[in-house]
Amino acid sequence: MTAVVRVDAVSKTYRLGKTEVPALRGVSLEIHRGEFLSIAGPSGSGKTTLLNLIGCIDTPTSGRVLVDGQDTKDLSERALTELRLHRIGFIFQTFNLVQVLSVFQNVEFPLLLQGGLARKERDRRVSGLLEAVGLFDHAKHRPSELSGGQRQRVAVARALVTRPGLVLADEPTANLDSQTGANIIDLMKDMNGRDGTTFIFSTHDPKVMSHATAVVRIADGQVSSFEGGGSAAARAGEGS
Amino acid sequence: MTTRLRATGLLVRIAFRNLFASKAKTLILGGIVLFGALLVVVGSSLLDTVDRGMRGSIQGSLAGQLQVYSARSKDDLALYGGMMGESQLEPIEDFAALKKVIERVRNVKAVVPMGIDQAMVATGNEFDVALEKLRADVRLWLRGDRTPELIAAYGAHKAHLRRMTTLLRQELSQARAIVDDSLIKERARETADLARATTEAFWGSFDEDPLASLEFLENRIAPQSMSGGFTFIRYAGTDLDAYGQAFDRMRIVEGTPVPKGHRGILIGKLYAEDWLKLKTARRLDRIRDARLLRHRKIARDEELQRWVRENETQTRDILLQLDPLQAEEAAERLRRALGSSKTDLHELLVELFTTDDANFDRRYAIFYDELAPLLQLYTVKVGDTITIKAPSHSGYMSSVNLKVYGFVEFRGLEKSALAGIMSLMDILSWRDLYGYMTAEKSAEIRAIKASAGVREVSRENAERDLFGGPAGEPEAKAVPIEAPIVVGAAEKKADQTLFARSYTPEEMDGGVALNAAVTLVDPSRIKQTQRDIASALSAAGFDMKVVDWQKASGMVGQFVSLARVVLYTAVFIIFAVALVVINNAMVMATLQRVKEIGTLRAIGAQRRFVLAMLVLETTAVGLFFGAVGAALGAGVVWVLRLAGGIPAQNDQLYFFYSGPSLVPRLGATSLFVALAIVIVVSVLSGLYPGLIAARVTPLEAMQSDE
Repeated sequence: MTAVVRVDAVSKTYRLGKTEVPALRGVSLEIHRGEFLSIAGPSGSGKTTLLNLIGCIDTPTSGRVLVDGQDTKDLSERALTELRLHRIGFIFQTFNLVQVLSVFQNVEFPLLLQGGLARKERDRRVSGLLEAVGLFDHAKHRPSELSGGQRQRVAVARALVTRPGLVLADEPTANLDSQTGANIIDLMKDMNGRDGTTFIFSTHDPKVMSHATAVVRIADGQVSSFEGGGSAAARAGEGS
Repeated sequence: MTTRLRATGLLVRIAFRNLFASKAKTLILGGIVLFGALLVVVGSSLLDTVDRGMRGSIQGSLAGQLQVYSARSKDDLALYGGMMGESQLEPIEDFAALKKVIERVRNVKAVVPMGIDQAMVATGNEFDVALEKLRADVRLWLRGDRTPELIAAYGAHKAHLRRMTTLLRQELSQARAIVDDSLIKERARETADLARATTEAFWGSFDEDPLASLEFLENRIAPQSMSGGFTFIRYAGTDLDAYGQAFDRMRIVEGTPVPKGHRGILIGKLYAEDWLKLKTARRLDRIRDARLLRHRKIARDEELQRWVRENETQTRDILLQLDPLQAEEAAERLRRALGSSKTDLHELLVELFTTDDANFDRRYAIFYDELAPLLQLYTVKVGDTITIKAPSHSGYMSSVNLKVYGFVEFRGLEKSALAGIMSLMDILSWRDLYGYMTAEKSAEIRAIKASAGVREVSRENAERDLFGGPAGEPEAKAVPIEAPIVVGAAEKKADQTLFARSYTPEEMDGGVALNAAVTLVDPSRIKQTQRDIASALSAAGFDMKVVDWQKASGMVGQFVSLARVVLYTAVFIIFAVALVVINNAMVMATLQRVKEIGTLRAIGAQRRFVLAMLVLETTAVGLFFGAVGAALGAGVVWVLRLAGGIPAQNDQLYFFYSGPSLVPRLGATSLFVALAIVIVVSVLSGLYPGLIAARVTPLEAMQSDE
């Protein structure tokens, strides 16, 4: 089993004026392909920071983050963007759809950025995903015409359309009622089961956590516990 | 690169969606761009048309494409006069030599000598005209040619003069009542002469010695008439034959060209209208123009009312022109036309000229149809000989008599008070007025002066020293200078010989000129030819300035450049405002869209994608509204053309429009310039917000909405 993500003694410090605020303090973690992993912890614990580092939208102050075996510190801004485009899907707490594009176009967007896929293939893939998330009939709607749950389904479809190895979701259910939230988690779980895509999502909701195959708990910028599914080989708190 | 293409398609889609999403903003930004583009297209089309028109008028009437004049001149050449009067130019002593050098330069078509100056012209007076008629009668009478017709005319002309003297006496006694006693004493003889000329005795015995009586009238009475006298005339002395070939805008509206190689003058039509036309007729013309072109109303316009009043009170000029037979005819015609019962011509004239907005057009027609054929409308007519006087180069007054061959107009400059009043004179007469001799002649004179021991010719003695020396002096006789150079020496006979004489082109060229107009085969290569001529001249040892038509025409030629500066300043300001406004609006929009941009970055859009997205938005706005503005501008130009152009509201505009109206022509350049400016401005205005957007990090996408 290869690790999709390896986090190695990573620290991240933010500068707030003259004071330095440590967000992560020596986190090590290994996440394997096909996992449905939840990063849990109270707000301000550093779980979003950890997700940002794994998602290549931020780089660590010290330590190493390896995504698909590549050290993110060695990569240029442009290469990091390429990596995000091709290897990682994102689901945001606030859905973050492009307001001026239709549902279909929102999902199609990363494929267009990638290029390379013929129109027919693109259409098939987008339609397939919209069907899978149950929004095929809403393909021509604008995000503003959809409910929160529907929007997040669109976001899930968008995150998966490039068939990334890894999908990151930052508090995907925080802006949804619990039933809808549960449905989204179910949907993600389905996708995880169907394609073996690795999902990492942060949450502070115990109900959501319960769906995870593994849960990494974070407190004060450190991994406080690791409750793992059988295949997970994560090491917590090493070297701290 | 299908990838690029797809990404571009996506960009366009997002850009347009964003523009449609904020319609109000887009419309405001677009409106500014639209207005700017419209202004560029309409403004530069109008200016280009003015430019083309003026270029044609100025180049084709006087300037040619290039002008050459002495570099030692104190002033710059100003063909239409400068602020301080005529420009002081050093003469080109040997025009023929200069011409030879310039003609050899490639692209030169013709070189025309010129001398531009102002002079006084004697416009004659009614007395002279009436006396001339009477003298002709007397001549026939004395020859014994006493047909009934002549007897009638002779009588009428005498009666005419008698009436004129009576009128003059009335007028002068009124004028003199105002001035003081000492002046009256001084003028005692004049008063006595006038008194005599109005007596029955004088006229009763006129036939006993008609010549003596005529002489008395000519010498004692005519000078007392205050009409006539001198007016200023602006003219260009030139080789009229070469001029006619090189300049296409000159048109003879009356008369004929000056015969090849002859002396003569062609009087500017506008000058004649302004200065030589019967004042009453001129005022009627001006009232008509004001009403017709400027929609002014006599009832509401003080100036028009004044002209009407002046016409009512100043009937004398007309009364003086008519002999009793004509006066009767005129009175009869007016009675019929006006349906009046008055008998006195003066009263009829007053009635005719008492006009208001309702009857003006009718009265104007009556004047020109009924009265004008009996009148001499212009003090100078084709075939007359006029005397022109000017201070010569060396200071004394010189004068020439010139036959008027015709009236000329310059197409496009017909109403320009600046350029249209120009008269054209043969270059030899100009040289006489200018008082500067050929290089040969002046060398000759220098030699004579040296041998005669004359060191310096003073202003006062110039004439006598140079031309009028004692008859026995052989040196003076050897100077072959023609008579009219000397004041007062212009005898009629001498005139006739001079007028009949034909000069060869060599004689025309061989002498002094002030400037040389150069026309080109290909006017678009003006800059190159200007340099070529300058270097050819300096290589040949000439110290000359070569200037283009625009510079040579002074303020007049620079009007277009000035207007262009104004237009482009306005355009610049509009687009600077557009740049700032669009930039600000887009920066605001970018800040509002930080989360969306962050999201795009997070899911894999490169920085340049985001930059391109913003630039594309502003460019789309710019291109669309710029194109609409340019199209609207083209439409405005088109409508203006359909409507027959913008009418010239006054004489200045007539000049700038080179005609009665400005019919703009849409230039491809105007459209191109408008679109180019729009593209540059819109790309620039999107660049800064684009850079801000490109700096948005994907982290922004992760911020929750709190």
